[in-house]
Amino acid sequence: MSISKNQYLFIITVVLAIYYLAVGIYINHLGYYNQESIFYIEKTKIIFEGLGNRIKVMGLTAPLLPFYCSIIFSSINTFWAPLIASALGTAAFFYIIGTALSTRVKNDDFYLGVVVILFFLHPGILYAATSGKAIYLVLIFFFLFFFNLLKFYRSNTTFHVSLASISLVTLIFCDYKFVWLCLFFIPLVLVITLQSLNLGEKESIFRLFLSFNSPSLRRKLVSKTFAIYIILFILPIASIICYKLLNLTHASDLNYFIESPYATWNVLVDKLNYDMTTAATNYQLPELSVLVSAKVIYFCPLILVAIYLFRESTYQALTVLTPFAFIEFLHMKYDKLYLTYEYYLIFLILALLCLIFKAQTVKNQKIFKIIVLVTVLAQLYTGYIFLANSLIHDEKAFITTLVKGERNPDQNESMEMAEYINSLPSNAHVLMDDAVAYPVAAFTNNIKRLTLPYQDMFLSAIETPYHYDDYVMIATAKNPFTGYTQLNNRYIPLIRIVNSGVNYKRVYETNNWILYKIITIQ
Amino acid sequence: MSISIPELLVNDGFISPGDQVKIKNFSERSGMSYAKIALNFGYISRKNYERSLSNAGYHFAQIREEAFDPEVLKQVELKFANDHVALPLRIENNRVVTLMTDPSNQLFLDFIRFTYDMEPDIIIAYDLDITWLSHKLLGEKYVKASVYELMRRDPKSSASTTFTMPQLIFIFSLLGIIAVGMVLNFKNTSIIINVVISMFFLIAIIFKLFLALVGSRFELHQAVTKEEVRNVIDDELPPYTILLPVYKEDKLIKKLIWNLQSIDYPREMLDIKLLIEEDDDKTLKAVQNLDFPAVFEVIVVPFHMPKTKPKACNYGLHFSRGTFLTIYDAEDIPDTDQLKKVVALFTKLPAHYICIQSALNYFNRNENFLTRMFTLEYSYWFDYMLPGLDTLDIPIPLGGTSNHFKMDALVELGAWDPFNVTEDADLGVRAYAKGYKVAIINSTTYEEANNEPINWIRQRSRWIKGYMQTYLVHMRNPAELIRKIGFKGFLGFNFFIGATSATFLVYPLLLAIFISYLVFDFSTIRTLFPDWVLFMAIFNLMVGNILMIYVNMMAVFKRRYFELILFAIANPVYWLMHSAAAYMGLYQLITNPFYWEKTNHGLSKVNNPTNVVK
Repeated sequence: MSISKNQYLFIITVVLAIYYLAVGIYINHLGYYNQESIFYIEKTKIIFEGLGNRIKVMGLTAPLLPFYCSIIFSSINTFWAPLIASALGTAAFFYIIGTALSTRVKNDDFYLGVVVILFFLHPGILYAATSGKAIYLVLIFFFLFFFNLLKFYRSNTTFHVSLASISLVTLIFCDYKFVWLCLFFIPLVLVITLQSLNLGEKESIFRLFLSFNSPSLRRKLVSKTFAIYIILFILPIASIICYKLLNLTHASDLNYFIESPYATWNVLVDKLNYDMTTAATNYQLPELSVLVSAKVIYFCPLILVAIYLFRESTYQALTVLTPFAFIEFLHMKYDKLYLTYEYYLIFLILALLCLIFKAQTVKNQKIFKIIVLVTVLAQLYTGYIFLANSLIHDEKAFITTLVKGERNPDQNESMEMAEYINSLPSNAHVLMDDAVAYPVAAFTNNIKRLTLPYQDMFLSAIETPYHYDDYVMIATAKNPFTGYTQLNNRYIPLIRIVNSGVNYKRVYETNNWILYKIITIQ
Repeated sequence: MSISIPELLVNDGFISPGDQVKIKNFSERSGMSYAKIALNFGYISRKNYERSLSNAGYHFAQIREEAFDPEVLKQVELKFANDHVALPLRIENNRVVTLMTDPSNQLFLDFIRFTYDMEPDIIIAYDLDITWLSHKLLGEKYVKASVYELMRRDPKSSASTTFTMPQLIFIFSLLGIIAVGMVLNFKNTSIIINVVISMFFLIAIIFKLFLALVGSRFELHQAVTKEEVRNVIDDELPPYTILLPVYKEDKLIKKLIWNLQSIDYPREMLDIKLLIEEDDDKTLKAVQNLDFPAVFEVIVVPFHMPKTKPKACNYGLHFSRGTFLTIYDAEDIPDTDQLKKVVALFTKLPAHYICIQSALNYFNRNENFLTRMFTLEYSYWFDYMLPGLDTLDIPIPLGGTSNHFKMDALVELGAWDPFNVTEDADLGVRAYAKGYKVAIINSTTYEEANNEPINWIRQRSRWIKGYMQTYLVHMRNPAELIRKIGFKGFLGFNFFIGATSATFLVYPLLLAIFISYLVFDFSTIRTLFPDWVLFMAIFNLMVGNILMIYVNMMAVFKRRYFELILFAIANPVYWLMHSAAAYMGLYQLITNPFYWEKTNHGLSKVNNPTNVVK
């Protein structure tokens, strides 16, 4: 019985999925959690178990799609749901790349082998697959966006350009920063349109000259360019407008989903990460703008090969170069943030995509394959180095836990506090602010007993906690997030002034959290 | 007057000797008289024919009020009279009073002598008057067959009964349960209704997006290539019938002839029937007054209720000679190579493909807002939806025109249902139920988009009423429908035919709730929408609207109608017009189900050149 290529791919996909799950569960047992996956876990618990305005949590938690993907697997295990989603998602991504590769590169398994090596061994792919973060979805939709765009260049069909547009929408809903990618496609669309006009000239500049000097061609160029803008960007624009309006109607803030710590995990985490690194005694220099592209090439030299493959077509080469402009822009726009690993990984995916489209056009396959293989092996090393030297805590913690096999203590404190809350009488209610305390809420067994900001009574509970709750959890002065919550060390003295008939007894304390019992003495 | 009419016409220079030979040969092959061919196959105009005969001393009589004897009429067959444009009326002075267009038609004169054993007394009359009278007097059995044939042969598929008893029981039980539920527990019943509607919308939206994506995948696929059309050999082409049902379309007759003349198909192999209702003198006069040769044969459909297009088509079918058959509207401009393409595709396809649907689009798309929106809709429907259904092997509701049939299969299916006002959609489902298939072809017929709102709503109300009729007919026995068209087909039928009307009925209600939610009191409405139902409803509203607008944009982008792309944003307003039409259709379904809401054509001021395919 012979196995078809698709079955072969499917088997590798299943093996990959098991491998990712095994690695993910292993590091999970070592205590590795990242802020993003814990955030999803807490919000999932609110949706299924919470009492209050769950529609807001359901619809405005961002990034939306990774959150929903995590929800799908929460029926298996709430704590493993993000991990299962990322493991299966990355395996599925391998299948997508494998299928695309096998339909384009026939009778040559070398490139599939390269992809298999990368998916099994590249630390970045492993990070995407086993961390429970949204990177896997970003990579999938980033791939699909460029894949369909390159297909559109060949076929000139609505189908591919609309699929590219849909992929762009989903990409934005996986990471809102990708909305800036549109910016760099604005000039590119003109070049794409020029290319699609039926003209004798081959060179873009001459095509432009011809088109501008003939009234009918000019009209056609303008209307077609406009139409491509619409067909490519109307979906993302409309989706964002609608989503922002939903934010406005349900949270009274257009940018709630990107700016509120209740809606997204990275508002505080990113800020803290930057502050901590730049304020550390061992001061680390933030990334320099000019060096970002150089870092990309160091991280993924395969991208140089990819650009070389598209050298004959200006607009296609420009398309491949667009993400460089994108990350340089991100670096300038968000100058207080570090570029996360995800933004480097997209170049690896883009390079693979270029190989899918162009690898077989190279005449001297032998030398080309050697170059590709050497580059890929080098990338396994650079991929590791980037994680190990990352300025972002989650990334560094991941690779440390994975390579050293040592227990990760990051969430010990949250678990410890949650453990104590779990041991409280079943009717005891705890007031906490999950803008900063979502790890504690996530590890709590019964989220119904927590009074959280998604509930309408939260504000009243803050004003008069003794009416609603039996305990209140505050952030200590040591807690790095203490400035981002109302429930911090200034809260208790303040509330004592408001109502002196209530006493607050410290019942449990960790470095970052203190749990007070509310005692009414009147 | 010893000279025969054919010779007279040649002598007068109206017909060339070469054409004379062609006509005679064709007459021998087809059994039609010389005059019939000369007047209906583009050889001579009726005006010139009259001129020639008048100059020779013939006088054309007005014959519509002539007395007739049923016993005399009994002995003549309508098809024979129709082919010879002659009709014996009565016996008078021991002679048979006979109406003739060509008094020198020896075959018919011999028929009179042989049948009645008397000499004929000839009254010269216009061919159209004779056609009118012969169909009126002899057409009864054909018109009855046109109305009742399907009902007699396959009563379960006939829409003559709109609601069956089990359907009525189901509808009223459902209404009863809802009413009781509302009284007992208003909140929970409303929530359940909301959930059902939201789920229904959600599935319908996803299904339509999926169909559009599947359909758009085959954008580059050419069912028939230009090369294949070039390889078609003219001499091997089969006879092709074109039915043109018209009613009071006198303004369009000239356009019609221009469009028909540009069809790339051998003239003698075309069997074009202009189906005119008995009471439609306007159109008949317009044909009579043409000052250039007509390329179609007029068939007069005798009066019989219901007065619908399918009944007229069924009637025309009795006189059709083609191996293949298609229907065009009077204002249609088909791609010139459409018929050849269809023949080429039928040759390629397996035998169980009995119908080929061409895409429809509009030539007056930039006329006003309505025509633009209509073009968006049709582009989406015919370029994405139907190919999507075709790919997924789901019953295709045929478009009103440009569906090309194999004649024998069409007859076997019982032709069109005269009681159904969207007989084409119904026929598509019936074909699937019998195991036949419909294919889509890469050829377009350009029609006139309705440019007037009231006229548009009337037309659309008929379509939606017809969809409701079709849905009711085929859902009389859902289990049997599943058995016939499979579960996938059944779901497709429900979400395509059933959902179309239902969504338009529900849309304004949901929109009203949404606006109330925004403008008035949030909390009251919120009680009827628990969190997850509200979430689903908001998703439907946002994503559903965006996606449907986007799919429309995709469709016009594919057609390269770039100037229309932004108009897709106005779809929510356009859908409100659909809703108005849906309510009108629903009202008519109950009060007047078989009424054919006539669409006025020829309102467009846009003149489009024929769509010549090079």
